[in-house]
Amino acid sequence: MSLAFDDYGRPFIILREQGSKSRVRGTEAVKANILAAKTVARTLRSSLGPKGMDKMLQSPDGDVTITNDGATILEQMEVQHQIGKLLVELSKSQDHEIGDGTTGVVVLAGSLLEQAESLLDMGIHPLRIAEGYEMACKVATAHLDSIATKWDFSPEEVEPLVQTCMTTLSSKVVGRLKRQMAEICVKAVLAVADLPRRDVNLDLIKVEGKVGGAMEDTRLVEGIVIDKDFSHPQMPKELKDVKIAILTCPFEAPKPKTKHKVDIDTVEKFESLRHAEQQYFIDMVQKCKDAGAGLIICQWGFEDEANHLLMHHNLPAIRWVGGVEIELLAMATGARIVPRFEELSPDKLGFAKCVREVGYGTTKERSIIIEGCPNLSAVTIWVRGGNRMVLDEVRRSLHDALCVARNLVRDNSIVYGGGSAEIACSLAVEAAADKVVGVEQYAMRAFADALEAVPLALAENSGLPSIESLTAVKARQLAESNPHLGIDCNDVGTNDMREQNVFETLIGKRQQMFLATQVCKMILKIDDIIQPSQYD
Amino acid sequence: MMPMMGMQPQIILLKEGTDTSQGTPQLVSNINACMALADTVRTTLGPRGMDKLIHDDKGRVTISNDGATIMKLLDVVHPAAKTLVDVSLSQDAEVGDGTTTVVILSGEFLREAKPFVEEGVHPRSIIKSYRQACNLAVSKVKELSVSLEGKGDDEKRELLLKCAATSLNSKLVSGEREFFAKMCVDAVSCLDASTLDLKMIGMKKVIGGGLRDSFLVDGVAFKKTFSYAGFEQQPKSFNNPKILLLNIELELKSEKENAEIRLDDPAQYQSIVDAEWNIIYDKLAKCADSGAQIVLSRLAIGDLGTQYFADRGIFCAGRVPEDDLQRMAKATGARMQTTVNNLDKAVLGTCERFEERQVGGERYNLFTGCTKARTATIVLRGGSEQFIDEAERSLHDAIMIVRRALKHAHVVAGGGAIDMELSRALRDHARSIPGKAQLFINAYAKALEAIPRQLCDNAGFDATDVLNKLRQKHALADGSGKYYGVDVNSGGVVNTFDAFVWEPALVKLNAIQSATEAACLILSVDETVKNPRSEAPDASPMGGRGGGMRGRGRGRGMMRR
Repeated sequence: MSLAFDDYGRPFIILREQGSKSRVRGTEAVKANILAAKTVARTLRSSLGPKGMDKMLQSPDGDVTITNDGATILEQMEVQHQIGKLLVELSKSQDHEIGDGTTGVVVLAGSLLEQAESLLDMGIHPLRIAEGYEMACKVATAHLDSIATKWDFSPEEVEPLVQTCMTTLSSKVVGRLKRQMAEICVKAVLAVADLPRRDVNLDLIKVEGKVGGAMEDTRLVEGIVIDKDFSHPQMPKELKDVKIAILTCPFEAPKPKTKHKVDIDTVEKFESLRHAEQQYFIDMVQKCKDAGAGLIICQWGFEDEANHLLMHHNLPAIRWVGGVEIELLAMATGARIVPRFEELSPDKLGFAKCVREVGYGTTKERSIIIEGCPNLSAVTIWVRGGNRMVLDEVRRSLHDALCVARNLVRDNSIVYGGGSAEIACSLAVEAAADKVVGVEQYAMRAFADALEAVPLALAENSGLPSIESLTAVKARQLAESNPHLGIDCNDVGTNDMREQNVFETLIGKRQQMFLATQVCKMILKIDDIIQPSQYD
Repeated sequence: MMPMMGMQPQIILLKEGTDTSQGTPQLVSNINACMALADTVRTTLGPRGMDKLIHDDKGRVTISNDGATIMKLLDVVHPAAKTLVDVSLSQDAEVGDGTTTVVILSGEFLREAKPFVEEGVHPRSIIKSYRQACNLAVSKVKELSVSLEGKGDDEKRELLLKCAATSLNSKLVSGEREFFAKMCVDAVSCLDASTLDLKMIGMKKVIGGGLRDSFLVDGVAFKKTFSYAGFEQQPKSFNNPKILLLNIELELKSEKENAEIRLDDPAQYQSIVDAEWNIIYDKLAKCADSGAQIVLSRLAIGDLGTQYFADRGIFCAGRVPEDDLQRMAKATGARMQTTVNNLDKAVLGTCERFEERQVGGERYNLFTGCTKARTATIVLRGGSEQFIDEAERSLHDAIMIVRRALKHAHVVAGGGAIDMELSRALRDHARSIPGKAQLFINAYAKALEAIPRQLCDNAGFDATDVLNKLRQKHALADGSGKYYGVDVNSGGVVNTFDAFVWEPALVKLNAIQSATEAACLILSVDETVKNPRSEAPDASPMGGRGGGMRGRGRGRGMMRR
């Protein structure tokens, strides 16, 4: 890259290693960026909607992922181009904030940029386009607010939540079991939700899975599943109405943290040391017994001797349980985490109705299910599936559905799906555009056109004649002024999304528009790219 | 050069390989380099300015519109062009905004000087006139600036909002500039009026959400720190909590690093273990006894502590970042403790409300409604990392402007209006001077017009046309046109003072002064001596060690004996 030449035609060396840097500027840069972004968006287009297809991605070390979740696809694609990366982050941030609609947001952004390209060819300043988009975005989101409906739900009446989760799940691999899955998700979210504060901490819902079984076997455990087994194979496999002690100290002789050394010079001393050690174990087990514990859950390991003693005293125990599980267990069972044996007392124990160890088919893998906990503040969704790829995809889908349910707890407004909201907004923006003086009018119209990309892709993926179905719905929306009409992807026979029960959250939709507009502006605003010429 | 036979042998004065060039060609060459650099940032000026995407060798990507940031990232090595980087950085440090302006102005001053230099004018004469013109311009800015001193608080606030909005105009967040302007003004007005310490405004970035989801906390907010098991059992919201700030570790650990215990009698073993536990329990008990409901520490609070506090309904967070903790201290009136002995009520702080809340994908601890709040936290939301980074830089500029305007409440009309007016005044003045200086001051005046011209160019308008309209307005005898600047929306001219495009006078003053300084500095150089690298970097087989040695060797050479 050279910035300038002197009178003899030699380049100035202004920047460090400027020979190895390349620079693109002006409209050329904007065009190059748009092209890159469009390419990324086009990849995702076919994954949108209930009839969207999945992508298979192979990572460098050979792991295969099959998914239709936009954020996951983009993340695994390892996009190199800087502008492409912006879109990846766009989808990621939709994922963080809303958890759903990660494909839609990228499709929308790609379509906005595609429209911007033709406006650039008309000679409109990129920033004027961006400003027009921003104005249009405001109109569209305001219109979204006006067509949104409030869903009132209570812990008893959860149907609205279930319906909305079903819409999310319908595009996923679990589509056929969406009712069951949606109910699981809603129950899980409501279990951990703090309804008065409208706050849901999704960390309290664990989604765990094991390969094997059918997807139908997926269920909600009102408690915790730990991927461990009892410390001794002869311990009882099932416990009823059991008191649980949760320990964060190992079943070993205590050690001071300070460096220490025990000098043993006589046989007697050695004997007494050995004796003391044994005494420790006996004391420990006795303390647990005294407190009334029926099950010991320990964060650390046991010495063989301790394990043997526990077995003898008929005290089942689980060892090496991770910190997160310990915490969730403590919350679910109402136990206190006990850091040393001296503090063990009856009131610090938790309670569970049923603890059992289950095996899977012919494999030797085992898990322990702890359920029937008094305090339903931590739950686990136990997923089964035919192979690891399906299992992972089910987990991702459930995560999306959980997020949707959480968003509804946070804000119970919904809009109708199936592209109906986009079409309604597109009409509103078009109408508003006519009232704007200046080049922004063009940009607003372009925004309206871009919004139609979502229903178009929906129709296309469902095998419908895309343009015909879109225009038909649009005409009907305008004629009947009914914003609930969308694309009939599932061939139910009606375009009214209210009858089809296809809902999306308002905050999710609004977020999509905001984020897509923001990223568009960012990309349009770049007119100069300085980068190392080639990657190593 | 090969010494020819029969000629006198060449006298070697400098080390072999030293690159020297001198005289007028060298001066012109320096000017060219600076102009080239100024041209790179040119397009970022104004509300229609574009951004640069800079991708460095380490793979970091920055998208920015901020002159100083771009200059820093360009990694300039040309010695003369480096001067421009320095002015831009100093403008950033001094005023915080106008970093692009200052580079463009210096470039333009040099561009105007170039033909004179080529024609053989002594650079000193140009410098002298430039200095003179600069003084005139500065006094003119002071004369034209409108003071808002002594106005009511509401009016002053309005002014600050306008200034912040103008600064944000050219940035990526311009769509929400009113929203952010208000946020910046609120944040700054939280601060202690006498010091206005910028460190007391925290800026947190959370990816996700729209720009409008950004919010201001009248207190402190920080991300959930690393937590141990038991954390979720702690209460997550309080009204009027008592807050204890610590700078000690609450973990079970060896008290002394290098101590070693020797035991003769195995029976004593338990006592040592107990002693260690007692130390930590004693510490924890003291924290709990102090009546605190929230315990924050700069160092780790271990799993034991977490569970102990959870048992007693106390919220705790360990490894809180230092600056957040300091702001906590300011906000709540708590005093940071390095020991848990002698905790009394006086060292505890309080705030109206504490809660842990979900912000995007993160859990955040929010302390709001602080009584002694001399601090504020801005939580920024946005679509991607680069986006938020740029938003942060933009807000930083705006906050600096508000802060400056609070101290120095003079504003001038933006949109190139002040530059046009200065240019006119200088031209008028030039006509009254006999001699060469007339030409140079005219050149200086012409250079000032670069700002409105660039504004037009960036917006895609016919710069010549708009500039002529502006010249006509500013030349009106009654002075009614002095506030006219470029209207970036219609491509015409507009009274920017009435349109509330305001800039603090300080930005302009500093920009003009430092740009002139930089230009004069470059004009006064007529020889560059560039020492060769003392050793070619790849000549030595032991790259790393050789490099270190070389550095040291050179350092010794420069020492005075």
